[in-house]
Amino acid sequence: MIISDTYTIFWREMKRYRKSRSGVLIRLIQPAIWIIVIGNTFAGTQPLIKSVGYDLSYIEFMTPGVIILTAIFTSIFGGVNTLWDRRYGFMNKALTSPISRSSIALGKMLAISLVSALQASLILGIALAIGVNFVNPLMFIPIMLIVILFSLGFSGISVVVAATAKSQETFWGIVNFLGMPLFMLSPALFPLELVPDWLAVVAKLNPVTYSVLLIRGMMTGTTQAVSVVLDLAVISGFVIIMVALASYVFTREVNKPF
Amino acid sequence: MYSIETKSLSKIYENGLRAVDDVSIKVDNGEIFGFLGPNGAGKSTTIMILTTLLKPTLGTAHVAGYDVVLQAKKVREMIGYVQQDSTVDEYLTGRENLELQARLNHIQKDLVKSRIDEILNLVELSDRQHDSVNAYSGGMRKRLDIAGGLLHRPKVLFLDEPTLGLDIQTRYKIWEYIKKIHKEYDMSIFLTTHYMEEADRLCDNISIIDRGKIKVTNSPASLKNALGNDVIVFEIDSDTKLESLISEIQKIQLVKDIKTNGEEVTVFSTNGNQVMPKIFELSLKVGIKIESISLTKPTLDDVFLSYTGKELRDENGGYNNKKEREKMRRLRA
Repeated sequence: MIISDTYTIFWREMKRYRKSRSGVLIRLIQPAIWIIVIGNTFAGTQPLIKSVGYDLSYIEFMTPGVIILTAIFTSIFGGVNTLWDRRYGFMNKALTSPISRSSIALGKMLAISLVSALQASLILGIALAIGVNFVNPLMFIPIMLIVILFSLGFSGISVVVAATAKSQETFWGIVNFLGMPLFMLSPALFPLELVPDWLAVVAKLNPVTYSVLLIRGMMTGTTQAVSVVLDLAVISGFVIIMVALASYVFTREVNKPF
Repeated sequence: MYSIETKSLSKIYENGLRAVDDVSIKVDNGEIFGFLGPNGAGKSTTIMILTTLLKPTLGTAHVAGYDVVLQAKKVREMIGYVQQDSTVDEYLTGRENLELQARLNHIQKDLVKSRIDEILNLVELSDRQHDSVNAYSGGMRKRLDIAGGLLHRPKVLFLDEPTLGLDIQTRYKIWEYIKKIHKEYDMSIFLTTHYMEEADRLCDNISIIDRGKIKVTNSPASLKNALGNDVIVFEIDSDTKLESLISEIQKIQLVKDIKTNGEEVTVFSTNGNQVMPKIFELSLKVGIKIESISLTKPTLDDVFLSYTGKELRDENGGYNNKKEREKMRRLRA
């Protein structure tokens, strides 16, 4: 039952997404600016990056970072419609129907993750268009699967915040506060080998780090089996914790009146 | 078994406000039951308890035989709930909204198509079913909302202010639909309203609720009859000697109740045509000049006035009402 209920909510969210497509392009502008502006601004750091073993241009180095940036923000912002749903009655409609509470949270998270992967694939397209080298095009599908998995965890953060926050202001305040540091504290823009030790230690506690490393490895064809297993284990652990936390918090919060 | 039964139901909010205070009601199977009261009377809070959205502070409530707290999931399978504000998805078409509703309520897959066709026909939206709801008028949205509440043929349908904010013609139309679905599907309907006419036209029984408390429960006809069959309203030029006039009028045997509102006096009585001349006589005796006088049949508005001492205006807009509603909304939070 929970699977079909989850699909019900997923179906609704995707219908809504499909009909509000104008937002898709707008949301692409920011990551595109990251690639084009930051990518060129720091082009001169290429020898530094090379010195720690990345034989890439800076843009190529940071493209996986921007894919993850897109995924982070698409998914951490994605839960905001939970607030709209509570304000405009859809939530009450769902809550007075026999579907389970967790499936509402899970359906939303799955939809957000798929949207996140769609956005990320468009960014990847932009990167390829401006000349980023992609060693093995067959890696596209596994990369997107990892983006979906990773986004599932971040959409969990979003749903937790949205279910707990009573207002838009609180929601935006918290997700912005969380999103940017999580992105910065990772090798998305610069190799961890070149940052101060304490920053590298903090970054190693961040699931974003493992997603960036995994996708970078897949794009450049330098993945090693050991690190793939480690990266996947960390990402999966993060996702499992977030899914469980999100369904628990969501169920608890929606039972309180809005 | 009643389709709705509450015993001493109360909801006390954290700030001490008793939004619902010791409410006990019984709604028979197949009955249309109305909760009538001004904004902020506790109508929506009651509906939210009965639909499992809020937990009562005290007392118990059963819907379709199930306890709303202990068997909430069972209750949700039995009910349809049409909320006060429209809850249809703007970006989806009318039909997609109903498909969503069908999924939410676990309607068997092979029944979905025929049910949706049937209900669209009933609320006369078939020709607009593939338009996105963005393009619907307020009345069409409400019809779609009601259709959604009915799709799974619930045992008990809750309608929270079904015609609030709609124009007169649309309101009549919605009343027609409610009567039609009631006849067609034989469900119990619990509706809240602050429109007297709505309660009068639709309900088998009504409770008048004010500040969370039920003032009276009966059929609209009996409530009106209890006031006698006539209402005399007169205006006087000054209210200095009003009290002595009223005590005199009260002595007239046919008079059932008197309410005053400034210089306006409302007298509920039987055989008003005999009471009216007596009022003139008494006013002469006391020395009060009557400026105008009228004799009408009682409406539920008069019933409301007689039970709460307040007039219930047949409109929604006013600034204070809106503020009051916002306040209630925040309290529920």
